[in-house]
Amino acid sequence: MAEPAIVLRDVTQVFPGRGAAREVIALEGVSLAVAAQEFVALVGPSGCGKSTVLNLVAGLWPPTRGEVRCTGRPVTGVNTRVGYMTQKDTLLPWRTTLANVGIALELKTRRATGWDRDRISRYIELVGLEGFEHHYPSQLSGGMRRRVALARTLIYEPETLLMDEPFGALDAQLKLVMQAELLRIWGETRNTVVFVTHDLGEAIALADRVVIFTGRPGQVKAVQPVDLPRPRDVFSIRFTPRYAELYEKLWGLLQTEVTKGESL
Amino acid sequence: MRVLAWRLVLLAAGLVAWELASDRLLPAFYISRPSAIAGRLVQAFASGAIVPHLATTLVEMVVGFSIGLPLGIAVGLLLGTFRFSARVFQPFIILLYSIPLLALAPLFILWFGVGWAPKIVLVAISVFFFVFFNTYVGARELDQDLVASLRVMGANWGEVFRKVTLPASVVWIFTGVKIAAPYALAGAVVGEMLVSRSGLGLLLMQATQMNDMAALYAVLLVIMVLGILASEAAERSERLVLRRQGRTAGG
Repeated sequence: MAEPAIVLRDVTQVFPGRGAAREVIALEGVSLAVAAQEFVALVGPSGCGKSTVLNLVAGLWPPTRGEVRCTGRPVTGVNTRVGYMTQKDTLLPWRTTLANVGIALELKTRRATGWDRDRISRYIELVGLEGFEHHYPSQLSGGMRRRVALARTLIYEPETLLMDEPFGALDAQLKLVMQAELLRIWGETRNTVVFVTHDLGEAIALADRVVIFTGRPGQVKAVQPVDLPRPRDVFSIRFTPRYAELYEKLWGLLQTEVTKGESL
Repeated sequence: MRVLAWRLVLLAAGLVAWELASDRLLPAFYISRPSAIAGRLVQAFASGAIVPHLATTLVEMVVGFSIGLPLGIAVGLLLGTFRFSARVFQPFIILLYSIPLLALAPLFILWFGVGWAPKIVLVAISVFFFVFFNTYVGARELDQDLVASLRVMGANWGEVFRKVTLPASVVWIFTGVKIAAPYALAGAVVGEMLVSRSGLGLLLMQATQMNDMAALYAVLLVIMVLGILASEAAERSERLVLRRQGRTAGG
C-alpha cells in the first residue's frame, strides 16, 4: 500500500524560552496521516500548534522529537514539494499580479525571463483575475490579493497544499466566496490539502476529515471524517441536517478546549 | 486653499509685528528687522558674494551624501541579513551611536585639516549612521512569513536577498535619508563654524563677530531654505522610486 502523502509520527515541538519568556510546548506526541488527494482541516483553539504542524511539514525547522514525512520522504530542510499559503499577505508589493504569480516559476526555473506566460495566464484565469494582470497588490481588494496568493501557490503544481487560515482576514461573505472558489479549483487540481482554521464551519464545509486539536500543548483530540457528498455547495451545505449534526458533535469537543484556554 | 490663505496672513502678520517691534519694543541690534534682512539677502545674491559660500556648503552636502549613503546601505543590509554578525557588532554600534556626531568635529578638523574634508566627513557620518541604522532594522525585521513562503517556492538565500530584501529596503533607506538630512546640514554648518575658509557656517561666524545682525539672520534664512530643499528632495525621490516600484508612499 502506498504511504500517505503526509505523515507525522509522534511529533513534539518545544520552543525554548528566551529571556523572560517561558519554554513553550507547542505540540506533544502528535501523530497524523494525510492520504494523497485528501483535504484535511486542522481545528483548535488559538496557540494550539496547528500552524506549527504546517511549518514542520514545510520544513522551516525540524521538530524537537518525532518524524515528519512528505510524499514518501522524510522532511529535512525546506520542503519545496509543498505550496504554502499563509494567513498574512505575502505578496511582493512592487510586483504586479503577473509578476507575483510568475515569481514561483522564476524561482523554480532559476531564470528571470523564463516565464511561461500562457501558464501564468491560465492560473490567473483559474482564480478569476483576468483583467487584473498589471495591477499592483495595493490596487487590489483583500479577496483579490488572496486569489493572487492562491494562484502563486498553485502555479508550480505542488502535490501538497498547506493553508494557514488563508481566508481568516476576510469578511464573512467574501470568506464564503473564497471557500467556494477553493473547492472548485481543488476539484480540478486535486492536491493534498492541509487546511488550518479556527472556524469549525469552514472546516466541515471544506474537508474530508476534521482533526480537532487540544489547547496547548497541542495534541490530537479527535479525528472526524466528514461524509458530506461532493461536489459541495458551501452556501447551502450549512442547512443540511448532517452538517448540523457534525457541527454539534465537533463543537462539543472543541468547546471544552476553547473554554479551558480562556479560563487560564 | 483656505489653509494656505491663513498661513500667509499669519506669516505677514508676524513679519509686520517684527518690523514694528524693532527698536520700539526691543533693540534692533538684537532682533534686526525684516526689511533690513531682505535687503541683505538681495544684496548678497545680487553681488554674488554669497554664491561661493553657498556652493561650498552644497558641495559638502552632496559629496558627504554620496559617500555616506552607499556605505550606510551596504553595511545596513549586511548586518541586517547576517544575524550573527549583527549580534557581535551590536554593542559597538550603540557605543558609536551614543557619541553626538557634532562632538566629533574637532577631531575631524585635526585629522583632515581646515578645508572641505572634515565637513564632508561629518555629513557622510551623519548620513551613514541614520541610513545604516534604518536599513539594518528594516532588514532584521523583514516579514518572516514572506521569506518562508519564497523559501518553500525554492528560493535560496541569494534569491531572497535579491527579490525581497533589496526591493523592500527602499523604504528603510529613504526613512534614514529623511531623518539624516537636517543632521547632515548641521554637520556641514557646524564644521564650517569651527574653522574654515568658506561656507555658510563661516558667514554666520563673521556676521556674529562684526555684530551684523541683519547678515546673521539672512544667512540663517538661507540655511533654513537649504534644509527644506534637502528634505523635499529626499521626499520627492522617495515618491519617485516607490512609484516606479508600483507602490504609493507608505504602501
